[in-house]
Amino acid sequence: MPPQPNHDPITGRSMSGPILLVTILLVLSTFWALYDEFFGTRPWKAYQARFASKYSRLLQEKLGEQKKAEEDVRNSTAFQRIEQQTREAEEAVAPQVSEIDREVRDLDRRITVLRDAFQIARGEVTALIYQVEVASSERAKEKFRAQVEQVRQRLVEVELPVPDGTTENRSYIYDELESEYDRLKERKAELIAQRVRLLESANQLRAQRDTYLKDNLVGLSPLALEGILRRTKEAPIKIRQIHVKEADLVERCESCHLGTREPLLITAADMGGERVFASHPNGELLALHDPERFGCSPCHNGNGRATASVVKGHGRHKYWLWPLYHPENVEAGCQQCHVSDFVLDHAETLNRGKELFRLRGCIGCHRYEGFDNQNEVLVSVQKQLQQLADRRKDSEIEAERSIQAGDRAETNQEAQRLYQHAENLRVRASNLDAQTDQLQRRSGNLLREIKQVGPSLKEIRVKLQPGWIPVWLTDPHEWRPTTKMPRFRLQDDEVQAISAFLWQNAIQARLPRQPRGNAVRGKELFETRGCTACHSMGEGENQVGGTFAANLSRVGEKVNYDYLVRWIHNPRERTRPYCPFEKRDLTPADYAKHGLPFEFDLDHATCPNDGHQLQVQQMTVMPSLRLTWQDTRDIATYLITQRRQGANDYAAADFLEDNSLFETGKSLVRHYGCAGCHEIAGFEQEGRIGTELTLEGSKPIERLDFALLTHEAEREGWYNHKGFFEHKLADPAVYDQGKVRKPEERLRMPKPNLAPDDIDALTTFLLGSVNPTVPEQFRYNPDDRRKDIQEGWWVVTKYNCMGCHQIRIGKPSVLMTLPRYQDPDWREQLPPNLIGAGARLNPDWLAQFLANPALSESNLNRNGVRTYLQARMPTFNFSPGEIRKLVRFFQALSSQPLPYVPPKIEPLSDQERTLARQLFTHPAAPCLRCHATGDAVHDRTANAPNFLTAPERLKPDWTRRWLLDPARISPGTAMPSGLFRQEGERWVFAGPLPPTFRNYSGDHANLLVRYMLQITPAEQRLLLSRMARASSPSTVGLAANLLKSH
Amino acid sequence: MDWHQLWQIISTPDNVPIVAILFLIPFYTWYGLRQALANDRLIAELEADPQKAKTHHRKTQPWKPGWEKEVHVWPYLMRMEFLVALIVTVILMVWSITLNAPLEEPANPNLTMNPAKAPWYFLGLQEMLVYFDPWIAGVVMPTLIIIGLMAIPYVDANPLGNGYYTFKQRRIAILSFGFGFIVLWISMIIIGTFIRGPGWMWFWPGQTWDHNRLVFEVNRDLHEALGLPITSMWAKSIFGGLVVGLFYLGAGYAVHKLMTINEFTRRILRRMSLVQYVTIQFFFITMLSLPAKMVLRLVFRIKYVWVTPWFNV
Repeated sequence: MPPQPNHDPITGRSMSGPILLVTILLVLSTFWALYDEFFGTRPWKAYQARFASKYSRLLQEKLGEQKKAEEDVRNSTAFQRIEQQTREAEEAVAPQVSEIDREVRDLDRRITVLRDAFQIARGEVTALIYQVEVASSERAKEKFRAQVEQVRQRLVEVELPVPDGTTENRSYIYDELESEYDRLKERKAELIAQRVRLLESANQLRAQRDTYLKDNLVGLSPLALEGILRRTKEAPIKIRQIHVKEADLVERCESCHLGTREPLLITAADMGGERVFASHPNGELLALHDPERFGCSPCHNGNGRATASVVKGHGRHKYWLWPLYHPENVEAGCQQCHVSDFVLDHAETLNRGKELFRLRGCIGCHRYEGFDNQNEVLVSVQKQLQQLADRRKDSEIEAERSIQAGDRAETNQEAQRLYQHAENLRVRASNLDAQTDQLQRRSGNLLREIKQVGPSLKEIRVKLQPGWIPVWLTDPHEWRPTTKMPRFRLQDDEVQAISAFLWQNAIQARLPRQPRGNAVRGKELFETRGCTACHSMGEGENQVGGTFAANLSRVGEKVNYDYLVRWIHNPRERTRPYCPFEKRDLTPADYAKHGLPFEFDLDHATCPNDGHQLQVQQMTVMPSLRLTWQDTRDIATYLITQRRQGANDYAAADFLEDNSLFETGKSLVRHYGCAGCHEIAGFEQEGRIGTELTLEGSKPIERLDFALLTHEAEREGWYNHKGFFEHKLADPAVYDQGKVRKPEERLRMPKPNLAPDDIDALTTFLLGSVNPTVPEQFRYNPDDRRKDIQEGWWVVTKYNCMGCHQIRIGKPSVLMTLPRYQDPDWREQLPPNLIGAGARLNPDWLAQFLANPALSESNLNRNGVRTYLQARMPTFNFSPGEIRKLVRFFQALSSQPLPYVPPKIEPLSDQERTLARQLFTHPAAPCLRCHATGDAVHDRTANAPNFLTAPERLKPDWTRRWLLDPARISPGTAMPSGLFRQEGERWVFAGPLPPTFRNYSGDHANLLVRYMLQITPAEQRLLLSRMARASSPSTVGLAANLLKSH
Repeated sequence: MDWHQLWQIISTPDNVPIVAILFLIPFYTWYGLRQALANDRLIAELEADPQKAKTHHRKTQPWKPGWEKEVHVWPYLMRMEFLVALIVTVILMVWSITLNAPLEEPANPNLTMNPAKAPWYFLGLQEMLVYFDPWIAGVVMPTLIIIGLMAIPYVDANPLGNGYYTFKQRRIAILSFGFGFIVLWISMIIIGTFIRGPGWMWFWPGQTWDHNRLVFEVNRDLHEALGLPITSMWAKSIFGGLVVGLFYLGAGYAVHKLMTINEFTRRILRRMSLVQYVTIQFFFITMLSLPAKMVLRLVFRIKYVWVTPWFNV
């Protein structure tokens, strides 16, 4: 027991000390709470204060500059002149104007007084009238009417001011008061109108002066800047919020990001390096997506409501499911709404991601809604066909039974009914036939559209050197670093088993022996026919050509020459047709059984066994260039010499014939999903083995298996979707790290050889692949022309049209960037630029051309239009659907309506024809000197299309625009500009005109267009013969001189 | 030792009360006991000296000349309470400024969180689910707890200890409350917070909470563990009933021993009616069954003792 104190321990002790201390603490914490309430949890207040001061300083600076600039403009003589005129005009009417102003001032004073008096009187009257209206009895009404009358007759006293400053007393009864008031108002209006009339010319001059100032001043005017400055300085510190009702969006981002939408472009440097205040970096994009309508977070993610801290606002914490996209992935935000766009403006990274997803064969294993799914559709079409066949059979049997029952029927009526039933069933069966036909056609089109990323492996026995196969499978990137083929993590025995299976599973056939050609000529052809738009040659630094298809630097080491010749001649040629119904390749025996020749192509594509559509083409996008056999052999010979080592230098691969490996190989091929990219016998209908990625970006993070790396990822800050995708793409086996697993349970995804940029692009694409959180109307699913553009891009990119043609402004084709085409002579050899092609080309003609670019059934070794081009427009064997999409695409790109109705072209009178001929053959611009004519000798020097194709091909409006200024439509074209000059309303030829034109008052360009679009072969021959007679070397020089002078 | 993991658990705003409990419960237990023991000493002193007991005294200390005879509520108690109110206000204010409400991501019915934990004050109930059927742990036990607490005033036959701290006079009451509240309820909350990780697995403090962790544990029913050849449902029910009955008998004997441990408790026992005695026995044994089952489960890997078609214990 402690000793007892002498003083009372309770009453003898003062508590003031502790209470004082705690009270101080309480006061302090109250202040802390207040601070936290006003500033701690509202950091945007400090941002706004900082922005106001920095932005004001910037505006002051700009204001100084702009004032000086404005001063310069004001001091210019032109401005001074208008200013002078304005002043004179104003001075001329000044006395009258001031007289009017004075009178208006007097009137105003009187009107004010009258208005007050009148309004009081009117108030009383109308109130009484209301009483009249609602009074219940006639007597009461009468009473109120009398009161109304009394008020109306009462005299109202007013003190009206008079011009000399004194007042006069007047009195009016109600009606007089009203009419006096109206009279004064009318008078005032009249005076004001008069004033406007007087000042009209001065005002016009002033407007002219202001326009002049605006046109000559770069950037915002000082007045506008002052307005912004005032607004900035006076801006209250408050939450800046965007509320989009239909999307239930509340965005407070602009509470800190104050410069986003400022009219003055603000850079971070302007604001002392604070990026938060910079303007939106892409104003054009922002104009398309007005934040008032779209908000911020639908594109950028983040938490639009949060204002408590940067981390919360950006949503970069564990519990916010939509964190702000990092700068390198910012375009992921586009995908949510633009899922149907393959090529999107302002989103190059995303475009690249989608392109890689398709080009690198990701699509072979991973389904993605909207990406090439013809295979799936084909399966469903086949199923429908089967059902139709069953139904048809059932109908026939039923009909047969019905007839038999009718024969046995007891009454006539019953028999009639049964016969009728049988009849109906037969009619139905015939309807089913029509449906079947349509579905067959559909399946034929689908078979044409199905393309695979990798080559068919059915033909490797005739195509490849056996020793090369295991080398390739072991590490494709080692052999060809740029290949699309990813690297599988295969053991040696797995490589052997797969090789053996593929080898033994392939078709055995004998190809015709091909003689060797001329490699030097082959090289030239390879580089000029257009092969380099897709293929490249040379390795590493020396690589030249497109990246769409394989690099061919070592192709000579792996292929057989005979196969290569067949491939180049027509890559679509198959050794055996494939029947998707029987699910096997047909052999000559199948045809012989039905007494048919073993012949199959797009025109002979039905199965002899069951009438279903066959796959008669290789499923490659590589088109036929319609080369002659000689050209083909030359190119093949050139390619076969492209090797680093001899084909025989590969170790012999005897195991390829080892039957015991077959089954192992087969299961490995299935396990690794080889059939996703390659055609393999027995695997044609194999499904995709990977996860569907359509909504991968919104998969809960818990469902992404970081395996043993979870804690490491959390520690290092990449435990999120971005981190998962990036690590997976860089090394697909990464999440197997440290795991003990059987080989068949390990992750199967092979390693694609991706550059860091590519990984960013694919990550962007995957991050954007989310379950949309924005309402339907935000998403970009147009149903007009823009839909045609969306659909067209899928086809255009599928076949790499941009390899040869420029389609988007600012995106050169592959050929345009190649060294060969930098030479001015070769630049003329570039395939035509297709920007604006829709305005140029008749869609019906375009469809025809796309189906047969030679525009001829017999003479295939040529271009249909530009016969002078060495590069060849290939035959792609598009399906009708693809042709339709392409045609609509080009029409839509140029805002052309569909269907196209060609305008009627006025026939030429005899006189006009003579004049037109003179223009056409004018020595200053002899059209036929450059344009092809079909005459072999002449065409050797021609570098423009034949006019005979023009009537069907060209649209007249475009043709006229082209004649007037070709360089504007296609910069760098050989077609000369300035052939016509404007003279009043019409365009006339710029060269010296023959005297016959003196009486012609029409438009020369129109005349020429009409002539060109009605030209006939006979007419052209006539002109040619005339030209041949008149031709002399001097005309060429003359023409050049004439054109230079304009 | 994964300090990061430990820090994460401790620093979660959710767990502030539990971390506080770790310190506050021992402190106040100690503080209360200290006062109780002081009183006990005083009682002993006063009882020993009847003369002293007759003088004015203030319960905790014998009165001394120069002291006030009485101490008034105002201001002596009120100023203390005021001071405490101020301190609590300051603590609450600082707490609310520094720690925000621990909001998490929007609920997703397709994806439950792991570990999914009840609010801290219910973690004891959640922990009981490991040892009993949901029906027993979730319905029967909580009901018994409430009824048992309500029954206390009616079964308490000890008239001493009202209005002052004492240990000696209410030894059994204090020990059984300490056992039921601190040992069972609070320790299960602490287990639920610090020990139970993903998959409600047992992680020692400092062990990383790994979602992919795999453990090998075979839990068997008692008759399987003993290797008894019992297969029919009836036999299982009867066997389990016997075991539980034996437990009740054994534990009842132990409790009775406790209630008759010395003269004081015997006197209290004599004051009790039969109903009071049976009620106390029942709740006491039932309370003891929880730690018994915990030991069986955690140490001997026994899943159920009594298996019937209707319930399992």
